[in-house]
Amino acid sequence: MLKGTIFTIEEFAVHDGPGIRKLVFFKGCHLHCSWCHNPEGLSFKKELIVCEATCSHCDKCREACNHDDCKGLGRCIKVCSRNLPRIVGKEYEASELAKILLKGEEVLTGSGGGITISGGEPLAQPDFLFDLISHLKPLHIAIETSGYARKEIFQRMVSEIDLVLMDVKHTDPEIHKKFTGVDNDQILENLQYLCLSDTPFHIRIPLIPGVNDTLSNMEQTAFLLKDAKNLKGVELLPYHQTAPAKYVLVYKKFDPGFDTEKKVNIYTEIFKKYNIKTSVL
Amino acid sequence: MNERIKLMLEDMLQKKHRQYRQEIYIHEIGGLTDTFKQQKLSDVQRAKKRLSWVLSHEIPVIQPGEKIVFTRTVSKIPEIFTEDEWVNIKNDHYVHEMGRVCNINANYDYTIEVGLEQRRKEVLESIVVHSARGNIKEVEFLEAVVQSIDDIEQLVDRYAQKALKTGREDIFLLLQNVPCRGAKTFYEALQFFRILHFALWANGNYHNTIGRFDQYMLKYLESDLNSGILNSDSALELLEEFFLSFNKDSDLYPGMQQGDNGQSMVLGGVNENGDDVFNILSEMCLKASLELKLIDPKINLRVNKNTSIGRYDLGTELTKEGLGFPQYSNDDIVIPGLISKGYDIKDARNYVMAACWEFIIPGNGMDIPNIGAVSFVKIVNKSIEKDLKQCKDFDSFIESVKGGIKNELNILLPTFLNLYMEPAPFLSLLMNGCIEKARDISFGSIYNNYGIHGTGISTAVDSLAAIKKYIFEEKSVTAEEMIFAIENNFEDQYELWHKLKYDAPKMGKDEDFADDIAVKLVDVFAALTDDLTNERGGCFRPGGGSAMYYLWHVKDIGASADGRKKGEPLSANFSPSLDIKLDGPISIIKSFSKPDMRKMMNGGPLTLELHDSVFRNPESQRKVSHLVKAYMDMGGQQLQINAVNREKLIEAQKHPENYKNLIVRVWGWSGYFVELDQIYQDHIIQRVELNV
Repeated sequence: MLKGTIFTIEEFAVHDGPGIRKLVFFKGCHLHCSWCHNPEGLSFKKELIVCEATCSHCDKCREACNHDDCKGLGRCIKVCSRNLPRIVGKEYEASELAKILLKGEEVLTGSGGGITISGGEPLAQPDFLFDLISHLKPLHIAIETSGYARKEIFQRMVSEIDLVLMDVKHTDPEIHKKFTGVDNDQILENLQYLCLSDTPFHIRIPLIPGVNDTLSNMEQTAFLLKDAKNLKGVELLPYHQTAPAKYVLVYKKFDPGFDTEKKVNIYTEIFKKYNIKTSVL
Repeated sequence: MNERIKLMLEDMLQKKHRQYRQEIYIHEIGGLTDTFKQQKLSDVQRAKKRLSWVLSHEIPVIQPGEKIVFTRTVSKIPEIFTEDEWVNIKNDHYVHEMGRVCNINANYDYTIEVGLEQRRKEVLESIVVHSARGNIKEVEFLEAVVQSIDDIEQLVDRYAQKALKTGREDIFLLLQNVPCRGAKTFYEALQFFRILHFALWANGNYHNTIGRFDQYMLKYLESDLNSGILNSDSALELLEEFFLSFNKDSDLYPGMQQGDNGQSMVLGGVNENGDDVFNILSEMCLKASLELKLIDPKINLRVNKNTSIGRYDLGTELTKEGLGFPQYSNDDIVIPGLISKGYDIKDARNYVMAACWEFIIPGNGMDIPNIGAVSFVKIVNKSIEKDLKQCKDFDSFIESVKGGIKNELNILLPTFLNLYMEPAPFLSLLMNGCIEKARDISFGSIYNNYGIHGTGISTAVDSLAAIKKYIFEEKSVTAEEMIFAIENNFEDQYELWHKLKYDAPKMGKDEDFADDIAVKLVDVFAALTDDLTNERGGCFRPGGGSAMYYLWHVKDIGASADGRKKGEPLSANFSPSLDIKLDGPISIIKSFSKPDMRKMMNGGPLTLELHDSVFRNPESQRKVSHLVKAYMDMGGQQLQINAVNREKLIEAQKHPENYKNLIVRVWGWSGYFVELDQIYQDHIIQRVELNV
């Protein structure tokens, strides 16, 4: 049976779609945005994370063990008094994951909510994603995506779900590639499709100081959205200085390539010009 | 909030009103108590003379701009018995807390309506009746009540004279009407209440709850709004000043911690016929509380399955401000539960909250809702020690726990025999039937039930779940190993401990494995209290609240089978264990709605901590309302929510001077974080780390 890899399930997400929602994070993303807040969601594989900051270095976890779950990790995850070494990423069959997500369904539906699928990049595990969606319906489903996916996958997703939350990180291909590692042509093509579709969507722009918070980028983004039929609004998410904290967990270096201390520019008027509802989260 | 109220609030936060407090020397207060002893006065005489002493020592204070007067200047209420006398009394009697009548809800309504003159007449008539029968004790009691009315009126007179002298003719005129005559206006009714409430505290009574204020005060407000005496702005202004008055003297009120003063106000709910009675005053009270952002009065909102989401939104507004209230109470669970415990349907529908969450009946209830507590964790631990090795299956282990609870009750109950409370003649005036019967309220009322808290439910359930899974089902741990590990506080038992702490089933994750055990434990506890009665003919009410026992009980228990190490706290009330990985609030409310809380008629709120970012905008606030509603619709009994931010709490511990007004919900009441003992502060920080 096909399995997907998930790194977290959050209950009571209140800023990711209507009503009370459960938020499920798919593990793995083809983009490597230099500001990424969820570095543990980048790799498609299960991985060991250790919060070294609160470690007392008793080295209990370095002693050899026979647990199946610890094989190949070099650490034992079953002895730490603070539960610091942990495996991030768990494989599920779609039906099994759906069962977990549907627990408390009445709370979700009672509030006009549902499930939001986020990541990582949900569209990077497409077969599993569509399998999961079929198990979750008729519950309200939203997907949070970078838009980086083959168009057949993207279009099928748009047709099968109730709400899209799509990132537009930069309109300039060069800059996009520099900071995310990938071209934006596929993303913009998918965006164009989304703008013409019947599925309601929100656009989210992470505002990264000195990278995309320029007047021209905002103007170009707004221009791309001007004729969208079902755009419900644009959400601007100013960069938070909390991102670096998680990098040490996955043994990655936080090297954002921009000045994290710099104040972000927030241009909301440009969107208003096109009658696009804008909010800052 | 208008300018006048803003200024008053500012002055209050700067504690300017405390400048009027008198320095009364301890020896003077002690001298009074010694005199009582020397003169061999009866307890009724002493109670009477104490109130006379306090009220005659009061110095009237009318602060600039103030419209509702009465500020305490006597900072200490004398004892009526010397220490030696208390020792003797305690040798012969059970004495609850301070030995004074507390934590009940007076019938303010009737007295405010008819006035003290009328009440005096009633008492005098009763004196005639009881004199004719030669009932000496009864007459002594009634005369003490008359004296208390006289004492209050004398102080009111002195306030009136002071008003005249200081050019406050408005106050002089106000005090010509109330409290002697019944209130005619909302303003008069508020001033009347303030005087009665003031006198209760002066009488030595404490946890003097407010009750269904939006019900008994509505007629005055409506009449004033109809006649044009008030409009909605001027009414709100009066109400806000009235709310301020609850915070004037509250630092003088007895309680376990600052803030634990029992000034609970109940809004909404149903009337005697079962009709919804949330009204304009209920809404106005929520607004006043929202604008003032003070810890008193503490708001409780009664809800039921028909309560609209919009009304929950009004509550969420308060939660958002970090006030720790409203506490929600579910009529659909509470009312049938009270009826099954023998409460009359009309009284059940009229229930209010005692100091924290316990249900009491206005005017008719002399329940002692926090008379004692059983520690579930201690009981489970005892069963482990004594019976685990012999038990062949989990059911027989549950039987052992059941026996443990029974045993604990058998030890506890006889300690409550021969209850003694100081007489409370003035408070008796405000309790139904005391004057006709010439019987002090300290001897009881219609309802004389005792409440037994059950503390550490979740830790006990988690311990039982671990035992069931690992010892009886998987058989991966032996009874001997478990006993050894607990005895040694999991010293060097890294793997077993890790498994119990992080892998074992826990209550609060919406998994039936653990939740079914919670259902069972509640049923067992409730069934064991079912047939018990107390010496006053009352029953015992089981509850899932903890009061302060969540910290106290820890001292008597070692480590537990859920991986909790010795000395680590229990959770407050009916809430998931601390320091465990939970999935989120949806699972929590689902788990905690599974036990049949109609059987837990001493109450006990689920306490949730939500991160303050959840309240960022109206849409997300609405989701909090939906969460509360979902819990109530599923059969949850009570809920209180802290909107908190861990970093802020830690900052407040470091720099208390910058966080004087930071409010948190402690166990059943809201207090100022920086005024709490550190152990309570730390507990809240620990709670926050997990639930957000």
